[in-house]
Amino acid sequence: MKILIIEDEKQLVKSITTALRTEGYVCEIAYSAAEANEKILVFDYDCILLDINLPDVSGLTILAKIKSHNKPDGVIIITAKNSLEDKVKGLNLGADDYLAKPFFMPELIARVSAIIRRKQFNGNNKITFQEIAIDILGKAVTVNNTEIDLTRMEYALLAFLIANKNRVVSKNAIAEHLSGDDAELLDKFDFIYSHMKNLKRKLTEAGCEDYIKTVYGLGYKFST
Amino acid sequence: MRLLQVNLRSLLLYSLVLLIISIPVSILSIQAILNEEIDESLALQADQFRHHIQSFEYLDDLDTDLRVFDQISYNVHIKPDTKILPEGTYSTLSIYDSLEHETKPFRQLQSSVLIKGKPYSLTVRMSLVDNEELLQAIGTVQVAVSILLTIGLLLLNRRLAKRIWKPFYNTLDRLKAFELDKSETIPLEETRIVEFNDLNKAISHLTERSRKVYLNQKEFIENASHELQTPIAIFQSKLDTLMQNPRLAQDDADTIMELESTAQRMSRLNKNLLLLSKIDNDQFLAKEPIELSTLIQNQIDSQKLVAQIDNIIINITLPALEIVANKTLIEVLLTNLFHNAIRYSLPDHEINITIQGRTLSIANKGKQLAISFEKMTERFSKESSDPNSTGLGLAIVKKICDSCSYSLHYTFHNAIHTFSITF
Repeated sequence: MKILIIEDEKQLVKSITTALRTEGYVCEIAYSAAEANEKILVFDYDCILLDINLPDVSGLTILAKIKSHNKPDGVIIITAKNSLEDKVKGLNLGADDYLAKPFFMPELIARVSAIIRRKQFNGNNKITFQEIAIDILGKAVTVNNTEIDLTRMEYALLAFLIANKNRVVSKNAIAEHLSGDDAELLDKFDFIYSHMKNLKRKLTEAGCEDYIKTVYGLGYKFST
Repeated sequence: MRLLQVNLRSLLLYSLVLLIISIPVSILSIQAILNEEIDESLALQADQFRHHIQSFEYLDDLDTDLRVFDQISYNVHIKPDTKILPEGTYSTLSIYDSLEHETKPFRQLQSSVLIKGKPYSLTVRMSLVDNEELLQAIGTVQVAVSILLTIGLLLLNRRLAKRIWKPFYNTLDRLKAFELDKSETIPLEETRIVEFNDLNKAISHLTERSRKVYLNQKEFIENASHELQTPIAIFQSKLDTLMQNPRLAQDDADTIMELESTAQRMSRLNKNLLLLSKIDNDQFLAKEPIELSTLIQNQIDSQKLVAQIDNIIINITLPALEIVANKTLIEVLLTNLFHNAIRYSLPDHEINITIQGRTLSIANKGKQLAISFEKMTERFSKESSDPNSTGLGLAIVKKICDSCSYSLHYTFHNAIHTFSITF
């Protein structure tokens, strides 16, 4: 699975590539619009992370170019300018998602995985991890082919963790993913803890191995 | 007191004093001049009388004739006297007029004359009635002039004040109406008065400059907030990289979490500042009809989960209310108000959200606040030391209400904080 990162901030690119590679993605980098244009024409990517504020040309121009070549690449716009106008413009130009800086790395990874899934399996998608299978469209989870009943929160939690498998996901990132802006009210993490406890219980009750490891002090890690 | 009135007051005072002094002075001096004239003519009359009487000295009974003459004549009297006065004396006196039954002023010259060796006293008189009338006329004219002068100056002043100062008051009105954050500038108005032109130029220059500085400042805040997003993103991504280290010590893990929370706080602060500056810059203009109760219901559904942690129950009474507004702004407004209510609500209590007419009220039980409502809605003033609170929430609420002309009220009664917004 190939991802192109078009971003001029080298330090940010470094962290993003490190994180994405842990998840098994192949990353290519373009630090400028010129580099990006070359790569877009020659290769196909499963997902392109596109920074709008590039030093030479606006990312929106690159986006228009990608779309004019009828490339199937999924595009996630990353921008420091969290303006509705840019968002609407980007999405109208054919971007698949929009992420404002600063973001949590697990959030980016979850978005990337969602895009790739949508593009690759043409909407008919199922995520499987060992005995767990998630039907994204029906929002149904089965363990060893038996459906388990999860709340909306528990489902979101599981999908988020599986997208970030083998990585430590911080409590902050989970809280923000689950409750968006409301996360700022969560000064304690009992909120996540109770949902996590219920999710783990439901999974193990269905005969699932306990893949959700608590990383003390930090958060959780989903791994075999 | 208006400038022109001050001016006029001194002018008027000076003219009036001058006029009032001039009336007696002129009357007295004219009287003196007239008296002198009369005295001269009296002297002439007396002299001629002496001269002519000498040609009658041949008459034997001149003595009797003179007595007859004295009786008949009204203005000239001659009586035998005992001594000769060295020179004539002038005097003013009133004499009763038996015909008109009133006393009339006269000027008389009393002198001596020697007729046939005998001394006589000769008195020549002249009526002053004409002079008195003249003086009265002059006085009347003077008084009339002063009254006309006063009235004229006052009227003229009023007209002048209206006309000449019109550009000044126009400028003043514009200055009063001037708001730095509105886009209009004060236009230059050409007048015939150099001072006003200078004033207008100076004001126009000043307001234009202030506006530029203000716009720059606004832009700066927005740019600075934008520019900060990338470093925070890098910071946060590096923490994520650090977290993946499997050999992380417990202390280090704690530190990383603290750093991440701080980065998040920084990011929220920045987002809120950006939001404030965007509202300032009128970037939320698109309006649409919004069903308020539905929007609130949706928000409450997600926030209930957070409220539940502290066992806070959210009660809602929401009749349908449709408003036309910018959806993003209204969402931000509601989120901030609800967050505020949840944050400052005592655990195990209720939050009541109601719509009555066009007023939305959010009430929560809480401690009395040390700061005033005005202070509350200022930027970075916060009651709690909660690091998750940016101190911008209510400032944003206030800003949105101001920009949409909604009225925001706050009451604290029976330990219940109530915020209400009338749309």
